[in-house]
Amino acid sequence: MSSPTLTKDETTQSSPPSSGSSGPRTTPEAPSALARFAANPKALALVVAALVVIVSGLVSGDGTWPHSLTADVKSPLNDLDNWLVDNRDTHWIFLYFLLHLSNTAQVCYDTLLSLLESMSYVGVIVVGTLIAWAAGGADLSRRALRTGGTALAVFVVCGVLDVWEPTMETLALMIVAVVFSALLGGLLGLASGLSDRCEKILRPVFDTMQVMPAFAYLLPLILMFDIGVPSALIATVIYAAPPMARLTSLGLRQADPTALEAATSLGADARQRLLTARLPLARKQMMLGLNQTIMMCLSMVVLASLIGAGGLGSEVYEALGALKIGDALVAGIAVVLLAVLLDRTTAAAGERLDDVATSGISRTVERLRLAVWGGIVVLIGVFAAVGTAIAGNEWPEGWVVDFSNSVDTAVDWFTDHLGSGIPVLGGTITWAQGFTEYVLNPLRDGLLATPWWGLALLVAVIGWIVGTWRAALTGVICLALIGWMRLWDVAMDTLSQVLAGLFLTIIVGVLVGILCARVQRVDRIMRPVLDTMQTMPQFVYLIPVIALVGQNRTGGILAAVIYAAPAVIRITAQGLRTVDPAAMEASTSLGATGKQQLFGVQLPLARKSMLVALNQGVVLVLSMVVIAGLIGGGALGYMVVQGLSKGDLSQGFPAGIAIVCLGIMLDRLSQPVGKRVRD
Amino acid sequence: MSEAAETTATAENEDAQTNVKANDNDTRTGPVFSVRNLWKVFGPKADRVPGDPEHAALSQTELREKTGCTAAVRDVSFDVHKGEVFVVMGLSGSGKSTLVRCLTRLIEPTAGTLEFNGEDVISMGKDALRELRRHRASMVFQNFGLLPHRSVLDNVAYGLEIQGMAKAVRRERAAEMVAKVGLEGLGERRPGQLSGGQQQRVGLARALAVDPQVLLFDEPFSALDPLIRRDMQEEVIRLHREEGRTMIFITHDLSEALRLGDRIALMRDGEIVQLGTPEEIVANPADDYVRDFVRDVPREQVISVRRAMRPADAAEAATGTEITPETLVSDAIATVARTGEHCRVVEDGHVRGVVDHASLLTVVAGLDKDSAGEDGMEREVAAV
Repeated sequence: MSSPTLTKDETTQSSPPSSGSSGPRTTPEAPSALARFAANPKALALVVAALVVIVSGLVSGDGTWPHSLTADVKSPLNDLDNWLVDNRDTHWIFLYFLLHLSNTAQVCYDTLLSLLESMSYVGVIVVGTLIAWAAGGADLSRRALRTGGTALAVFVVCGVLDVWEPTMETLALMIVAVVFSALLGGLLGLASGLSDRCEKILRPVFDTMQVMPAFAYLLPLILMFDIGVPSALIATVIYAAPPMARLTSLGLRQADPTALEAATSLGADARQRLLTARLPLARKQMMLGLNQTIMMCLSMVVLASLIGAGGLGSEVYEALGALKIGDALVAGIAVVLLAVLLDRTTAAAGERLDDVATSGISRTVERLRLAVWGGIVVLIGVFAAVGTAIAGNEWPEGWVVDFSNSVDTAVDWFTDHLGSGIPVLGGTITWAQGFTEYVLNPLRDGLLATPWWGLALLVAVIGWIVGTWRAALTGVICLALIGWMRLWDVAMDTLSQVLAGLFLTIIVGVLVGILCARVQRVDRIMRPVLDTMQTMPQFVYLIPVIALVGQNRTGGILAAVIYAAPAVIRITAQGLRTVDPAAMEASTSLGATGKQQLFGVQLPLARKSMLVALNQGVVLVLSMVVIAGLIGGGALGYMVVQGLSKGDLSQGFPAGIAIVCLGIMLDRLSQPVGKRVRD
Repeated sequence: MSEAAETTATAENEDAQTNVKANDNDTRTGPVFSVRNLWKVFGPKADRVPGDPEHAALSQTELREKTGCTAAVRDVSFDVHKGEVFVVMGLSGSGKSTLVRCLTRLIEPTAGTLEFNGEDVISMGKDALRELRRHRASMVFQNFGLLPHRSVLDNVAYGLEIQGMAKAVRRERAAEMVAKVGLEGLGERRPGQLSGGQQQRVGLARALAVDPQVLLFDEPFSALDPLIRRDMQEEVIRLHREEGRTMIFITHDLSEALRLGDRIALMRDGEIVQLGTPEEIVANPADDYVRDFVRDVPREQVISVRRAMRPADAAEAATGTEITPETLVSDAIATVARTGEHCRVVEDGHVRGVVDHASLLTVVAGLDKDSAGEDGMEREVAAV
């Protein structure tokens, strides 16, 4: 990778111009652009397919999936639903297996919640702050004090905002979910890290799970566990375990082979090697996995309010439903604060691991830390016993600031004055309407007008170009499944939103990414912003969007762009920044201008990361667009929401599957071969 | 260079003496490692390759084309004697690292026999093999292989921990080893805080801590910069002089091999091309490959006067400075230049011959090939 010209591998097989057609070889001219293009069968196929699609779309005008190729999925699903309702308390599979799961989940949650309540707010604040401080190192270093301080501030603000009770509910849910996901993920990771066969089986499962929007997990779980905390917890555990498993496996597999060999050469048996060398060497990755798992837990616990999880999520959900932006924002702020707290605390714990490796710790400090943790456990016991006696059960009423009313006023003012009617500029709501009218509608109509076979052809060709025939086949099958379930039209609506969102995301993401990579100051400003944005649960993004543009499809797309852009920005900037410095230096020494360097060296060399960014963008945009079904996004997301809220399996379930199909298809179409996205 | 070589030479002498003593007490006087017809073949159906005489004749590329297999070690035989430093040297890809890993079956050999103190290593069960690795042979690695989350002391004590030794005892012993390799006061540091040379000292201490009979070194100093490398080589020479432990040392660096080795096995494409003392290899390259290899070696610093001397006539036998047959030619040159006359080579009180300007220059010029080996020196070439 030393020279930019060498790595500039075009998709062409770099076939030299055939000498026969251009006559005698007197002039060694480069082949014309057209000739080079014609020599590339893949590009040619793409153009032909695109032409077919456009022409057929113009000609036919209505391209929906033929009715003869569909099946009635509703009636069997209704039957299944009825059967489940009838048998949930009697059938053996529930009695002996599923009920145990859900009871355990419920019991864990209840116990924890009552523990938190009996500790009273004073106990929770003290213990929470101490835990964060201990995770940061339990000393007077800046890091330990900062994490402790963050925890203190977060808890106090949650209390002051009058959302103490839901915060505790969410916290209890989180603790249970995190413990179980970390355990499950750790075990799966251990299995797939140590055994190649497990890795082979689990890897595609995790890959697919990573692509699936969080929304799609919810319905099957209500089926089995009914609406309530157990469903929510189990959905969360399933959703959040993969990163832990993935990173544990990665850590075990990346462990320094020489260190492992050294252990063997000293006569360690398999167990000793695992416990003394391999697991400790994987610690850092596992910590990273834990961090990701915690963040995903929070995201899902909040979203699972749709299936009865309670806590902050349901505050947001209910407030959104009643269009009380102020209440939603207050609960949303609490969620974000919790996210910041959890992220900082685990990150600090991770950094401490690094410190131990680089600078070591003395025995006394080690002992001190142990003592601190012991003290925390004792304190929990003490507060659990006497907490309510000291401070009472609930956050004192006098210490509450009502914030939501002023927010509502502000939002009203905003809608009145900036939403529409600004001369020349229009206003946010006017813009949103314009976007819907002039971008989304034509795009959707275009997709609907295109014959189904034309679209399938396009998907197949793109799949073949980026990946292999397998990607093409997967894409077409997914598309066919959607049509078969009679969801073609609705899915095209969702697809149009995803495409519009993706387009905006990529433009914003790449532009800001380039700025971040090239301008130090922008990077310094953006970094903490991106950090915070990436830790926020999806749900929270909907709140400001409603305030800005109201409930419509554009709102969903805006939320999707805001949600997906940070990842794209980050990957782009990272890719540009890690371009081989020797190549950069070479181009500078040849006198390239900044623009020449960007377009001639940086962007071509960062192509791989740009593709990864595209892939991430697709996955994230889709998962947000469907959640936007909650705020008027319509289409598949709305069907799932309806299915969830009415418990209507036959409506929600096929929509959920269609979402998964769309997700897999878009992922495969944007994922180059051999470059599986790894976190 | 000459100084270092000299110390090696004296070290050898001392070792020879301690070995004799050791052997008197030890009933097992045979070689520590005895390797016969050892093969390691990577690839599909690897076990078919060694037995087939047709395959054995093929070159590395031909073998790969024909069978899809790579023979990293092919038909290697040698003995490692007690107390010697046995160097295996070759370029990268010559199979030397695979060979040393086969010795404790970190890599399972494909065919051949392998004995450690007369015990068959190939047929050892898991427990016996672990016992061998825990107590009798330990290894120092090129990339150190230290555990970053443990302190230096705990890294050194790691082997003892695996053996199941109590914490206090093993830490005490580890502290001794840390001091022995010159890292006093750094016991509580983490490997990440140490320089490359210091890290390898930790690796060395870890290997020494289990008090093994044999130390295996796999290119231990290749990752270090030249000055540190030299320090570490001296450290190994010092340890060997103090303890007389058997060492098997893998390197791709000829000067390192010549400086450390009592005997050197030169490998190429998985085979041993030549096996002998540094002097033999430099003076009598077995083939053009070896000759090419040792071309730039300053011969006078490796070859002893035993090879340079000529029979003395009566007059010469009475005069001149007395030197031993092991004296290096470079030192003899210094003496001859200083005194202006020839030197007598004296062994056991008898004058074995003389060296003068002419005979010494013959060695420096590399014209002594024919005369070499005449005085009855045993020659070990390739397979023993």
